Amino acid sequence: MRGTRKYAAAAFAAAAALALAACSSSSASSPSSGGGKGAKGSVTLTWWNNATANPLKSVYLSVITTFHASHPNVNITDVPIQNEQFPTKMPLALQSNSPPDIFQQWGGGQEATQIKSGKLENLTSMASNLISALGPAAAGWQVDGQQYGIPYDLHMVGFWYRKDLFAKAGIKTTPTTMPQLNADVIKLKAAGIAPIAVGSKDRWPDAFYWDYFAVRECSIATLKNAVKAVSANYPCFAKAGNDLKVFMATKPFQVGFLGTPAQVGAGSSAGLVANGKAAMELQGDWDPGVMSALTSNKKALDQIGWFPFPAVPGAAGSPSALLGGGDGFSCTTTAPEPACVDFLTYLDSPSVQEKLVAAADVGLPANPAASPALTLPAEKQILQLSQQASYVQNYFDIAYPTNVGQALDNAVADYFAGQGTPQGIVTAIDQAASQQ
Amino acid sequence: MSVAVQSYRRGRRFAAAVPLSYLAALVILAITLVPMLYMFIGGFRTTAQINTSPAGLPHPWVWSNYKTILTTASFWQNLGNSALIAVIATGLAVGLGSMAAFALSRYDFRLRESWYLLFAIGLLFPANVASLPIYLLLKHINMLDNFLGVALPEAAFSLPFTIVILRPFMRAIPGELQDAAIVDGASRLTFFLRVLLPLARPALMTVSILAFVTSWNAYLLPFLAFTSESKFTLPLGVATFQTTYSQNTAAIFAFTALSMLPALAFFVLAQRRIVGGLSGLAGSVKG
Amino acid sequence: MAQQTSAAAAVAESTAAAFPVARAARTRGPLRRPSRKLIELVVLLAPALALFTFFVLLPICVAAYYGLFNWSGYGPLSDFVGLHNYRLVLDDPVFRQSVLHNVMIAALSLVIQLPLSLGLALLLNRRMRGGTLLRLAVFAPYVLSEATTAVLWLLMLQPGGFVDQLFNAVGLGHEVKLWLADPSIVLYTLFVVITWKYIGFGIILLLAGLQGIPAELREAAAIDGASPWQVTRRITLPLLGPTIRIWVFLSMIGSLQLFDIVWIMTVGGPANASSTMVTYMIENGFRSLEFGYGSAVAVILFIISFVFALLYQRFALRRDTAGALTRAVG
Repeated sequence: MRGTRKYAAAAFAAAAALALAACSSSSASSPSSGGGKGAKGSVTLTWWNNATANPLKSVYLSVITTFHASHPNVNITDVPIQNEQFPTKMPLALQSNSPPDIFQQWGGGQEATQIKSGKLENLTSMASNLISALGPAAAGWQVDGQQYGIPYDLHMVGFWYRKDLFAKAGIKTTPTTMPQLNADVIKLKAAGIAPIAVGSKDRWPDAFYWDYFAVRECSIATLKNAVKAVSANYPCFAKAGNDLKVFMATKPFQVGFLGTPAQVGAGSSAGLVANGKAAMELQGDWDPGVMSALTSNKKALDQIGWFPFPAVPGAAGSPSALLGGGDGFSCTTTAPEPACVDFLTYLDSPSVQEKLVAAADVGLPANPAASPALTLPAEKQILQLSQQASYVQNYFDIAYPTNVGQALDNAVADYFAGQGTPQGIVTAIDQAASQQ
Repeated sequence: MSVAVQSYRRGRRFAAAVPLSYLAALVILAITLVPMLYMFIGGFRTTAQINTSPAGLPHPWVWSNYKTILTTASFWQNLGNSALIAVIATGLAVGLGSMAAFALSRYDFRLRESWYLLFAIGLLFPANVASLPIYLLLKHINMLDNFLGVALPEAAFSLPFTIVILRPFMRAIPGELQDAAIVDGASRLTFFLRVLLPLARPALMTVSILAFVTSWNAYLLPFLAFTSESKFTLPLGVATFQTTYSQNTAAIFAFTALSMLPALAFFVLAQRRIVGGLSGLAGSVKG
Repeated sequence: MAQQTSAAAAVAESTAAAFPVARAARTRGPLRRPSRKLIELVVLLAPALALFTFFVLLPICVAAYYGLFNWSGYGPLSDFVGLHNYRLVLDDPVFRQSVLHNVMIAALSLVIQLPLSLGLALLLNRRMRGGTLLRLAVFAPYVLSEATTAVLWLLMLQPGGFVDQLFNAVGLGHEVKLWLADPSIVLYTLFVVITWKYIGFGIILLLAGLQGIPAELREAAAIDGASPWQVTRRITLPLLGPTIRIWVFLSMIGSLQLFDIVWIMTVGGPANASSTMVTYMIENGFRSLEFGYGSAVAVILFIISFVFALLYQRFALRRDTAGALTRAVG
């Protein structure tokens, strides 16, 4: 009967679909999954990075091309993923059977957490030459002396500001102390300019403030202990919390800061400064690169300057300590070697480092040999400061294990939204640490 | 008699009801359609245009956004993946569901109502709530990043409403038909395949459409299960596109608009069935 | 349960009609060839049962078990903490806030969407020019995925975006707010988006129910001197009751599992002002890598949904489904 034939056809279609799905899922031939092998021993690696925008995106693509020229049997697929997606996607990827071959790695406690998945390749012996070339920078990506990630750039966090807007508000010199910064905030408000832009929607920019107050208040030894013990239960952190409270009371941020993202779109905190809608932003040294993509007015970038986080009068911490971090990449255990390590080494070669630093403004190069390639005056300023710094504290939400870092970001963001107390931030850290 | 009643009714009716309903209709049409139109038209502009005047018309009309998306693999991949998973999920849900509904409606056995209740309980259990446990389960049996790992749970969660809708329909088929078939020498299973299913076609169409749309629009489970971008479904692709290309607002408009087309086209073609199915649902609970 | 008894009665009645041979056999003794029937039953029922048990019932048992551990998702389950996670969840103010948000959305649906759908359905329940087009247009947002809807509205609600421009154009510029950035209104903004998506579904469902009410009833009432409003209140609405109760049930279940729209538009922010139970679960399970904790949340959410739905079934739907879902449909 006709009816039966139709159902038979439908059943056949469904069965065919099932078979198709089963076959395509079991084969590892799709380029986005790990470790694909093509003809004649050529390999394809998936590369998860956060370069969703130019200039870095096109620099990466050219790097892939030149690498392929010297390694014809290695193909690399560029998979840019928006920065804020990484915290959710990486755990999912590392728990699946097909994690990407190369993925962005910020080191610290976050890396230590990921190592528990057993999917990160130990690069200590394979990349030993590179590790010694990088010097102290490589330490941030080591866990128990073993290297699980390779940095390609380093960052310091400080205030980016608009020289033209400062001039408009009558500010002659950049602030060196917190009271001076607060005074400048008042002047900017009087001139009708949003003093400081912050991407509170993404939470981690908020944490920079708490982190820096801690760096100002705490001795280097305490900072190191806090990271090791996964706690913030020290008196200097309480003082830092109080500094944050005083600072927040000056209401220095732009209207609607709670919903402003850090880097996405012209309405982000970086976009606001790029387009002259806000005067300052506390951010890492990747900001010029981000800002250049968010404005069509290229002249505006000439107006961008930098000054370090102001000193807190009476604070006991080291005045030359900086908050910083870096970007790197890890290889997963399923990635074809030595192709993966070769690529990471290539990224740290002086020629590529120069490109990254000069054309893409990623920050400070991981390879010290490429330092002369820094073009922006601000970057040179930052480099000098970093070389003189007594200590570089890794941003706490990376230094701590993942769940503690997330708890820290959440607690600070909640405080920014007017909920909770500075002491609550310390409590949140300890509570999350107990979940370890 | 009814004509007289109608004119009597019309006279007494609130005079402004008719223009009011047309006004309401227009307002509803505007509220419903304008956002979607905004998306479609936005795809014909450049990001710069959108930044300068968010609510303006394209000036000039730009085809590159739509062209780029239609010529890159990812949109079609997403579309194909969605289709594949939806077909499997629907096929399984309706196939297995109709078999179970048949058993539960035309067989008599101990604990039958308990088994039925078990399926009906699934109605109370929102799929999103189960997503984290399902993720852990899939991880355990190594089915992450796997089309079946998404299609099977979707089919499972479509079973409850499939069975709950099909059972009364199947029950309503008169017993005489079954007797006649059995007398003619057909087995119960043959009766099921050759008589019952064709007769239950309206209900089968309704549950197929419901299961298909549920699978097509699913976001959370694919989001958790798929790591490879080549396996992403369409809703996942739209959301990912929006974050990856966040600077390119016009492209996002175009991609989103294109992703709306299959659903809308499907709806236009199947709307009678969908609305009819809802009528059936509403009618069946007339109490 | 009363439902079961009346269901059983209906079942017995229809069974008798469907299997006259069987009934005769039953009064004489066991069915002929019971094993054949058993095999058929197994073939028919087992696959669906297996799929359902494995992917619907099993996950919750799995989650209940994982909830007893602290687990980052990597490595073996080694850190047994008993009911500690469950206690932590119930103590967490953010969790309670998330549940409250779900309840608020559900309540708003009842208080705003239902009357709106009803009113519009009543208004549109007539022969109109372009009626089909209207129904198509009204229902269209329902067909879109929540993810697409979220991206669409996210772009429109940007500061200075389409919605703001629209407000300015009609002279309501002073009413423009930070739709997604202001913690005090973000939940309501999301509710508006949800309403946009689902109101068409409600209207169509209610229209279908309305069309099931015979016109003669209303005519008879009108002849008896009832005003249109009285007709609506005394005849239409009560007869529409079962449909309304189904709508409420579906709407409540939908409110409980709200995720896509919230996650894509605000990720539960700012500062948890728009978090829902499911975004809380994903945030704490995945982003914070606390899968034991996330599993505990899943189990608690399941219990909440289950209890709500059972209560609703028992008290609100009992009258309807007892007859509706088991009686023959025309």
